[in-house]
Amino acid sequence: MTVKKLHYLAIALFALAAGACQKEPSTSGLNEDYLVYTDHDTATDFAAFETYFLPDSILVIGSRDKSEYWKDADALQIVNTVAERLDAAGYTRTAEVDTADLGIQLSYVRQRTYFVGYDQPYWWWYYPYYWSPGYWGDWLGWHYPYRVYYGYTAGSLLIEMLNLDGGDTTSRTLPIVWDSFIGGLLTSSTEVNLQRTTAAVKQAFAQSPYLYQAQ
Amino acid sequence: MKTAKYLRILALGAVLLAAVRPASAQLFPNSYINIDWQVNVPLGNDLADKASGWGMNFEGGYFVTPEIAVGPFISYHTNLESLSRRTLDLGNGSALTAAQKHALFQLPFGATGRYTWMQKSVFQPYAGLKLGACYAELSSYYYVLKQYTDTWGFYLSPEIGASIFPDPSYRIGIHIALYYSYATNNGDVLTYSVNNLNNFGIRVGISF
Repeated sequence: MTVKKLHYLAIALFALAAGACQKEPSTSGLNEDYLVYTDHDTATDFAAFETYFLPDSILVIGSRDKSEYWKDADALQIVNTVAERLDAAGYTRTAEVDTADLGIQLSYVRQRTYFVGYDQPYWWWYYPYYWSPGYWGDWLGWHYPYRVYYGYTAGSLLIEMLNLDGGDTTSRTLPIVWDSFIGGLLTSSTEVNLQRTTAAVKQAFAQSPYLYQAQ
Repeated sequence: MKTAKYLRILALGAVLLAAVRPASAQLFPNSYINIDWQVNVPLGNDLADKASGWGMNFEGGYFVTPEIAVGPFISYHTNLESLSRRTLDLGNGSALTAAQKHALFQLPFGATGRYTWMQKSVFQPYAGLKLGACYAELSSYYYVLKQYTDTWGFYLSPEIGASIFPDPSYRIGIHIALYYSYATNNGDVLTYSVNNLNNFGIRVGISF
């Protein structure tokens, strides 16, 4: 190797050093799969619940001023998957909110990005298209009895389980005793999104064995 | 910004060229400088154990005797690992199912010393030891998130290698080395723990 070549090698090495330090992995492949995060109130006895009420539509958190509900066949397939898993866990679906022990909220985040923090007890006021607490009765809101930190991003499905018998009458809030955040549902294919969503819903229940105490 | 970056690289390259002039024009007499590309193999950690070439080493030394040189060093390296989708029990009632990519970034720096044999020959072998601090970032990338932990530890690294100067009249040559390193960094990311960092690897670069 000549000295001239070594000069070039020196410059190339130095340029390499100046141009790159910490290597970040490519995250493109991570979008090709779903994410499921679940959490629950460890003080809740899920065996004490028998019935649940599940609306036949999914609330859409989008960019419009009015509340949007997703009600087509795809939405119904997702709703039915949730119902099937709850039934398998030993709960019984009821047609009346008033007689249900649990309320199930399904929300699909189409465009917005939010981050939820335990340190902001009134965070729900920042969600203008979220489920109305009044849907479940004479309530002003709901609360998490456990620590939560997660983000709502486009292409996400939220499943939240409300204890309709455990409301705080002082603050008039309902506790969310189980929640599931499912991400990665925003591919260009509606069919892929639906397959991925139903698979992720099943996974949400599979990784929450405490829900099956009702059996 | 890009222009400024290229100008900086050009300026550094010019300084480098000046430094590698014949020995009589050397910027730093009785000293050496190594700039190396390195391949690092992490040993025994469950965060990122795949070998990679994403790293470099910079060091210099002053010959306090004809055989012994001491000086500073700094190096950096990133090792990556892809994990297929799996469910993690995060404790306190929460669980996460996701595909992940892990990254282990290490940045040790401190003092280095070496003993060199056959200083007048083309092939100049040496044995060295690096001591210092090690910053390490332990990261997990999943979905659109990056979760990471910063750690610090004590760093120790024995090394053997050689500088090869093809033309004795020029103070520029090839540098090769084989090293092992140990650092006391400890940290957790999700359910993954790192208790001390052990690595071995090779370095190839230039010496002048």
